[in-house]
Amino acid sequence: MKELQRQVSDRYKVSPYLVLFLISSIQIGVGVLGFQSNVVNIAGNDSWIAVILAGLLIHILIWIIYKILKYGNGDLITIHYDVFGKWLGGVFSFVWILYFIGIGVVVLRTFLQVVQVWMFSDINMFWVTSVYLILIYYLVSGGFRVVTGVAFLGIVIPSYLILSLIYTLEYTNFNHLLPVWNHSYRDILSASQTMTFSFIGFSALLIFYPYIKEPEKSKVWGHAGNLYSFILYLIIILITIAYFTEGHLVRHYWPTLTMWKTVEMPFVERFEYIGISSWGLIILPNVCLAFWAASRGIRQLFRFSQRKGLILILLLTLGANMFISSHDQLVTFNEYFSQIGFYLITCYLPFLLLMTYFRIGRKKKS
Amino acid sequence: MNYELNRSGDIMNFKKWFFKHHKEQNPKNNKAEVDDNLFDLLKQLRGSNDFKEVVIKDGIKKVKLFYFHSLVDRKILHRDIIPYIKKEQVNSVEDVREVVPSENIETTSDVNKIQNQILSGSCMVQVGENSQSVALMRAKINKNRNVSIPEVEFSVVGPKEAFVESLDTNLNLIRKRLPIPELRIEEMTVGKITKSKVAILSIEGITNEENVNTLRERLQSIEVDSIIDSSYIVQLISDNQNSPFPQLIDTERPDRVAAILTEGKVAFLVDGAPHAIIAPTTLVEFFSAFEDYFLNWITASFFRLVRLFGVFFSILVTPLYVAVLTYHYELIPKDLLGILVTSRREIPLPPILEAIFLELAIELLREAGARLPTKVGQTIGIVGGIVIGTASVEAGLTSNVLLIFVALAALASFTTPVYQIGNTIRLIRFPFLFSAHLWGLLGVSICFCFFMGHLLRLTSLGRPFLEPIYPPRVKDFKDAFIRLPWTFQSQRPVEVQAQDTMRFNKKKAKEKKEIDE
Repeated sequence: MKELQRQVSDRYKVSPYLVLFLISSIQIGVGVLGFQSNVVNIAGNDSWIAVILAGLLIHILIWIIYKILKYGNGDLITIHYDVFGKWLGGVFSFVWILYFIGIGVVVLRTFLQVVQVWMFSDINMFWVTSVYLILIYYLVSGGFRVVTGVAFLGIVIPSYLILSLIYTLEYTNFNHLLPVWNHSYRDILSASQTMTFSFIGFSALLIFYPYIKEPEKSKVWGHAGNLYSFILYLIIILITIAYFTEGHLVRHYWPTLTMWKTVEMPFVERFEYIGISSWGLIILPNVCLAFWAASRGIRQLFRFSQRKGLILILLLTLGANMFISSHDQLVTFNEYFSQIGFYLITCYLPFLLLMTYFRIGRKKKS
Repeated sequence: MNYELNRSGDIMNFKKWFFKHHKEQNPKNNKAEVDDNLFDLLKQLRGSNDFKEVVIKDGIKKVKLFYFHSLVDRKILHRDIIPYIKKEQVNSVEDVREVVPSENIETTSDVNKIQNQILSGSCMVQVGENSQSVALMRAKINKNRNVSIPEVEFSVVGPKEAFVESLDTNLNLIRKRLPIPELRIEEMTVGKITKSKVAILSIEGITNEENVNTLRERLQSIEVDSIIDSSYIVQLISDNQNSPFPQLIDTERPDRVAAILTEGKVAFLVDGAPHAIIAPTTLVEFFSAFEDYFLNWITASFFRLVRLFGVFFSILVTPLYVAVLTYHYELIPKDLLGILVTSRREIPLPPILEAIFLELAIELLREAGARLPTKVGQTIGIVGGIVIGTASVEAGLTSNVLLIFVALAALASFTTPVYQIGNTIRLIRFPFLFSAHLWGLLGVSICFCFFMGHLLRLTSLGRPFLEPIYPPRVKDFKDAFIRLPWTFQSQRPVEVQAQDTMRFNKKKAKEKKEIDE
């Protein structure tokens, strides 16, 4: 039985500016490949407004998270423990741990679905999942510094893919954006709700906060990270709307991949193969960070070895990945999960902020 | 209950049959630690035929000289020692000291010391048959290879000195380049049998003491009986001994050692090894040749980039070929695909076998070339390369496109300036090859992630190995993929956490001349 750990040794901490990569790497994931069709389905050519709204909402939520962590002085698990006590706090923490595991499962499964549909229709799901899980075990067991390293390289190395968007510009027609605001508020808001699903991973900040050197300074970087991914999403949605006609777009499940088909180089014909393979590196920080957060949560909540917790999570993921066998099941799972995630971050986080303020923050001030 | 006990008893028996009981055994032959008297030592030494015992003076007090004739320079004996003893009256060991005009002389009765000295090339003078106190004089024969030109790290410009097997010569080569009192040389012995002398070099006030301490602790904790070469130590003190990547750089260039010492790193030399070991180091340092610093920064940077490209090319080109031709024909444009398909038209093997066949041929050639004497080796390379290559294409075993790729990849892997990393690159091609066969480009990507994770986890003397890439340190990029001019190099690398971070005054170095003044 271990102690609830409130302080982290300086050796394991990372510099505040790396929060930029941590936040944006977990936000840029498999969603980039296909978020457009869901959003455009609801808000049509006004989808970009929905993306902006969602991005701003996340900025507010990051602000809330920093407030919670400032008052609570610790990670999510210790705050739950201090605010709600052992049992109720434990239940809340458990929900969040499941939520982090869920993020990892959704991202990994969706990515493998893309691989199956676009590259290898007869790939053995069991083996490829196992290999990915071994890889993730190897990375996460290296500790938070290695996970941060993966986040950093997961942003930097695949950044060349942004250049591929230049090829699509030739076929765009930005008149598709007009007329602006021809959808109702309701539609746009509901589209932004869908959009937040792409951003949700940032809540891992609640767990890794104690691992940042001078965490107060990381505030700016956290917001910058969100800004980076938010702008990336915005550029992609603008190009997508301009590239496809509306009717055409909703028929595609992964519009980004379709757009890559226009990329032509003297020695590369189907660029999406390179894109998807590189995406294997992009989803890695998503899954690693989510599983790191979950296993760290397990270590703090149940007070047993993080390594064992991680193995447990990985086995669970393998089971879940095998269980979700068809595309429809995956879509349903994604939908449920995005609903839960949305309410967890938009309703629960403000509630937690209020509770933390009244139970801890106010006392501290006086 | 009983049954259980029996069963576990059986298992124990089983174990007894199959495994030896490993008790904590200390090696018995620790004759190094003789704490008996001089008589026993002499008795033991007389067992060797090259141990000589000469009576110089007979009389009431016999004066005897003991030495190993394989270790001692007889010129010194006959010129500097024996004549003086014969000429003068010698009644005690102290007299020997008076008589012989040499500063390398001491009297002692410590048997351990006597043993060590005699075995490292001193001669011993005993006055009187049963005297325990003796005089020891250094008369070591110096038979060393001459300092020659560096062959592994050859450079066209710059100094042409390379380390030799003698520690004293090597230290001289370094110290004459750094004539400052702050250069600190710490000696210790490692290995119970070989008693290899190891010297740690650092510069006081610049080198981070933490690095020196870590290195010293690791050297002291080495538990191996024989250290034949510095590479033994490198393997023993590396942070991760199960990694294909070398985590310490070895160099045969004294100028390079002097340069890295001024950067704030630590180095050590081992007696009997013509290499210095440098720590801490980073992955990018393995791809920088020392010649880069002799050339002007633009050309040097260009060559570095070429080398880096060579590394990636060498690792990835065959796996990509296998991946594309096994799974992703569609990836290649029509015109290019035509060439590839035509070249493979008559080949019965799948791409992976084709690639393994050629890669293996190249590996065999390299290995044969490395094991054979230089002249034969070259011939083997040419004969093997041309004949086997052409013949296998004509026989229809491999496609000529792949032959070009494999040959280029082999060529590219030779561009690495440090030998050790070249071996690593040779090796890590194969996991990439197999994963490419398994899952095409996705496999290559997964394999890349594994290596990336491995590199992220590696450390060198406790400092991150992938620096300055991760943790990202913009300052250290001045000397990573490109080498900026000297005026930009005013700061020591962040990696080494030097005590004094500034090398020189940046402003003064950058001062520009006013026009027409």
